Amino acid sequence: MFDIRLPIAGIEFNVLLLILIGFCVGVLGGFFGVGGGWIVTPALNIFGFHMAYAIGTDLSNIFGQSIGATKKHHKMGNIDWKLGSISIVASIVGLELGSQLIIELEKAGDVGSIVRWCYLFLMFGLSTLMFYDYFRMNPKKIGRKQDSSNNSSGAEQGPTRSKLAQSLHKINLPPMISFPTSGIQSVSLWAVLLVFALTGFLSGFLGVGGGFIRMPALVYLIGVPTSIAIGTDLMSVLASGAYGCFTYAMKGRVEIFAAFFMLIGSSIGAQIGATAVKYIKGYGIRLLFAIMIAFAGCSIALEQVYKITSVPFYQSAAGLVLMGTAVCLTLIVIVKLVVEFKREKKIRA
Amino acid sequence: MSTTRALVILLVSLSFTCVIPVVFTGYNEVCSSEAGSEQSTEFRNKVDTSKLSGIEYLIADMYNNDRVLYAVVVTLVMATLGTGMAFLTDLVLKALGLEVSRISHKE
Repeated sequence: MFDIRLPIAGIEFNVLLLILIGFCVGVLGGFFGVGGGWIVTPALNIFGFHMAYAIGTDLSNIFGQSIGATKKHHKMGNIDWKLGSISIVASIVGLELGSQLIIELEKAGDVGSIVRWCYLFLMFGLSTLMFYDYFRMNPKKIGRKQDSSNNSSGAEQGPTRSKLAQSLHKINLPPMISFPTSGIQSVSLWAVLLVFALTGFLSGFLGVGGGFIRMPALVYLIGVPTSIAIGTDLMSVLASGAYGCFTYAMKGRVEIFAAFFMLIGSSIGAQIGATAVKYIKGYGIRLLFAIMIAFAGCSIALEQVYKITSVPFYQSAAGLVLMGTAVCLTLIVIVKLVVEFKREKKIRA
Repeated sequence: MSTTRALVILLVSLSFTCVIPVVFTGYNEVCSSEAGSEQSTEFRNKVDTSKLSGIEYLIADMYNNDRVLYAVVVTLVMATLGTGMAFLTDLVLKALGLEVSRISHKE
């Protein structure tokens, strides 16, 4: 009923499904500061897109949706432009190294399986770290600690940084640089470059945009507050999305009609997602992020099982888990936004 | 946010929303062995424009004959639509009272 013809890809596709996929990835992109390519590309592929069109169409959508979301995060003071610029430059170097390694491995044999295992390890490793951090540094516990500390000494508590970030800040290798927007007084430029080169390397090696790697790296390694990490990461996503959109279109890999309809959903979703950051505290965002990548990891695990067993059920299950996760996390973000907004309105009244 | 509540909501809605792809495309299409890349169309570097008309023809013709122009058009369309839709959504959100301003960065 809602099928439209997509002349470039040469298929018919449900327009509502395109808008729905776009909306979900927009909400998650605006809320977590990620591009969401790891949701859209497999989703489009499952529903009949050739992989080449899926990647290019997704990148075009990422570019369009991140314009509005970046603007909104800028308005909220969530973008550290200095840190973001450094991240773009260092990530390109790392990305090039990662993709070179892939080319070398491809010469040696099947690289797909190695990449998937690394992907799996990274997804589950990151989610475990974030779950551990959430339960260790539960905001309620922090509140209690701060209360008792304030009662005893009256001193104001500084921002809560991970041990990794604290160790990184102790590296005293000049030149030292400060990031006032992120509340970082002094950190070695080399350490920052190394972190972004590493995240770039991983995204080049895994063939992903890298938003889901950069955001936790900003929080846990550099010690940036969660909302600033989201905004700053979106800035990098915007830059890589613009480049990806143009080059993939040049290669004829963008289905413009599909990207158009997806963008209608995703740009609305991205505004809602970015607005939700105002109402949900950093630890809540990190918890949801950890849940999201844990489920994404499950989906990749199912895909890997399919590759080993060749039982088609696992491939379908992988896609359904991914789509299901995207849809329900979108619902959670929207519900949380509405609840917190109503609560704030009540307090104001 | 209550962790348990978040996990319960996630799991329940996960099982529920898996139905969505089935509703849109039919169970057989999604879950059959043909799902995924095997069912996808091949990557074609040229589009058959004989059955196309209007905007579809214009875009497909551009795709076939001038890939640089196609890339410029795609990038501009995405930028314009992204900005425009973001602006409109922002207006609606403002009207609903969901206006954003500079926030304090509490963890």
